[in-house]
Amino acid sequence: MGSGYLLRKVSSAIVTIVFIVLFNFVLFRLMPGSPDRLLRNPHITEQTRAEYRARWGLDKPIPEQLVNYVVATAKGDLGLSVYFRNQPVVDVLANRILPTVVLFGAGEVVAIVLGIALGAYSGWRRGGPVDYVGNGISLILYSMPYFVIGMLLLLLFVTALHWFPPAGLQSLGVRYASIFDELIDYGRHFFLPVTTVAIGLIGQYSILMRSSIIETLGEDYITTARAKGLKSGRILRDHALPNAMLPAVTLVAINLGYVVAGAITVEVVFNWPGLGTLTVDALANRDYPVLQGIFLLLSIAVVVANLIADLVYGALDPRVRT
Amino acid sequence: MTATATTLDPGALRRERWRLRVRGWRESGARFLHRRDGVIGLVIILAFAVLAIAPDLLVGPLQTVTTATGHKFEPPGATHPFGTDNLGRDMLNLTVHGTRISMVIGLLATVITVLVGAVLGIISGYVGGSLDAVIMRVTDFFLVLPTFVLALVLAPIILDIVGLDAAFFGIKATLFVIVIVIGATSWASTARIIRAQTLSVKERAFVDRARAIGAGGGHIMRRHILPNVVNLIVANTVLVFAGSVLTETTLSFVGLGDPFAPSWGQILNAAQTSGAPGLGIWWYYVPPATAIVLVVLAFTLMGSALDDVLNPRLRSRR
Repeated sequence: MGSGYLLRKVSSAIVTIVFIVLFNFVLFRLMPGSPDRLLRNPHITEQTRAEYRARWGLDKPIPEQLVNYVVATAKGDLGLSVYFRNQPVVDVLANRILPTVVLFGAGEVVAIVLGIALGAYSGWRRGGPVDYVGNGISLILYSMPYFVIGMLLLLLFVTALHWFPPAGLQSLGVRYASIFDELIDYGRHFFLPVTTVAIGLIGQYSILMRSSIIETLGEDYITTARAKGLKSGRILRDHALPNAMLPAVTLVAINLGYVVAGAITVEVVFNWPGLGTLTVDALANRDYPVLQGIFLLLSIAVVVANLIADLVYGALDPRVRT
Repeated sequence: MTATATTLDPGALRRERWRLRVRGWRESGARFLHRRDGVIGLVIILAFAVLAIAPDLLVGPLQTVTTATGHKFEPPGATHPFGTDNLGRDMLNLTVHGTRISMVIGLLATVITVLVGAVLGIISGYVGGSLDAVIMRVTDFFLVLPTFVLALVLAPIILDIVGLDAAFFGIKATLFVIVIVIGATSWASTARIIRAQTLSVKERAFVDRARAIGAGGGHIMRRHILPNVVNLIVANTVLVFAGSVLTETTLSFVGLGDPFAPSWGQILNAAQTSGAPGLGIWWYYVPPATAIVLVVLAFTLMGSALDDVLNPRLRSRR
């Protein structure tokens, strides 16, 4: 990979992260709960006001405040939560990351595999029955908010059929006979949320893969492969699929920002103790430090994911490395 | 030829241009009517537009706790075809009234998104240079940002600053904030698309000609660039609408909506908080959920059909 390409992508990602941190600094000053706004209360004495300003570092000039903020953020100090009894925001976030990563990692993997397979087959057999039905279903799924899918699954498989436990990470107050039973219990709680995420994503991936395959099949090298007399299965596997997969790489990364939105709502439906339920709790209690921490964490995660996608794309497709 | 062209009076020129434009619309319209998916989308949208314009005529005024006509959680039946909610309100009544709120929020957010995106896209593409670089840098920033999370952080901040009871032009602040937040966070992709097209239109001969006879940048952007990107804007607007309705639904679902102006997302939020899925009260959320899916699907179908009809050469873009 060309070092110029690498350098450009990495520096662009760094600039974006710097922007995000600056943005967060400005938001902190706008926040309704911010100390500066509280101090507008006319009954506060001049001395209390000065103490507060000193305590929050607001008596210093703006550039110095900015430097302090950036240094604190870089050290991983995101302030204290309001709702969670003054726990450091970083600790609050750290407790919630794993469930979200597991849920969405698994959902993404299932959706990518199934979505790409469905889309590739639909595009390959364009106009066939699978294409017709698959495309229709994909469009409907694409129009459904994640939480609607989740609510329907919950109604069907939990309330009506009792196949799965209602919500949460594991059954409460149960003593497991063995580690094996515990794993089964986790799995039963895990299944519906992951299915919801996967169903929510399959539509987009399959629509994209279908149009990508159709576009690729019109390329000259496919005609050449046909002219060489290759079997059609081999043309699809060795010539069309690898090239058609390229846009999917980008979509998966770009999508992460939207998947995050889905994460929040799916977790609410299934009461999954991840970043999504944390966001809604923080929102309801106006816990701005936590909200900001979530924003910072998720934005940087998405930027890094995009960078990785760019680099993977660059490695796979020499044409973009200009 | 050139001699007659110079003797044409401006009125005749204007009429000729108008005639050509109307013919273009008619041809696009005819091609659109041949697209079955687009027409299905259009019919669904028109049906919901009727619901949004005249909900009172169909189901009477919006029911509240005091004017509720039924008992708590009545299943669908003769008097309440869609059942009732946890306050005894008729679900049909709620869902139909939700149409207006959801559609108006979606419409306003779309207007802001497309306006900001188109203006920035055209200016950025036409002016170029360092201005272009700055605008595109900001656009990239907003493209990569998880805008929904940004919206979640911004909405309560703006709400707490302007106050819950503030109203602009008769719209409660809560709803207005949702509109602003959707607009502020989703213009970036529109700006990208419009800029790309502006860059190619700018290189065509008629732009050089206009510049040669002394036309200024503003005039060229309004009279020469805009008419050539308007097809793209129309198709994009319809697709943005679908996204806006989805974002509004999601924002309301996580509790940023206005309980006194129930949009579909707000109804779903009430269904979730009252525990309807666990109690098996399916009629509390199936009607609004169906409405959302139908509207988003209709706009998506119509948007992609319009895109194919209006921008045939760019078809491979999606």
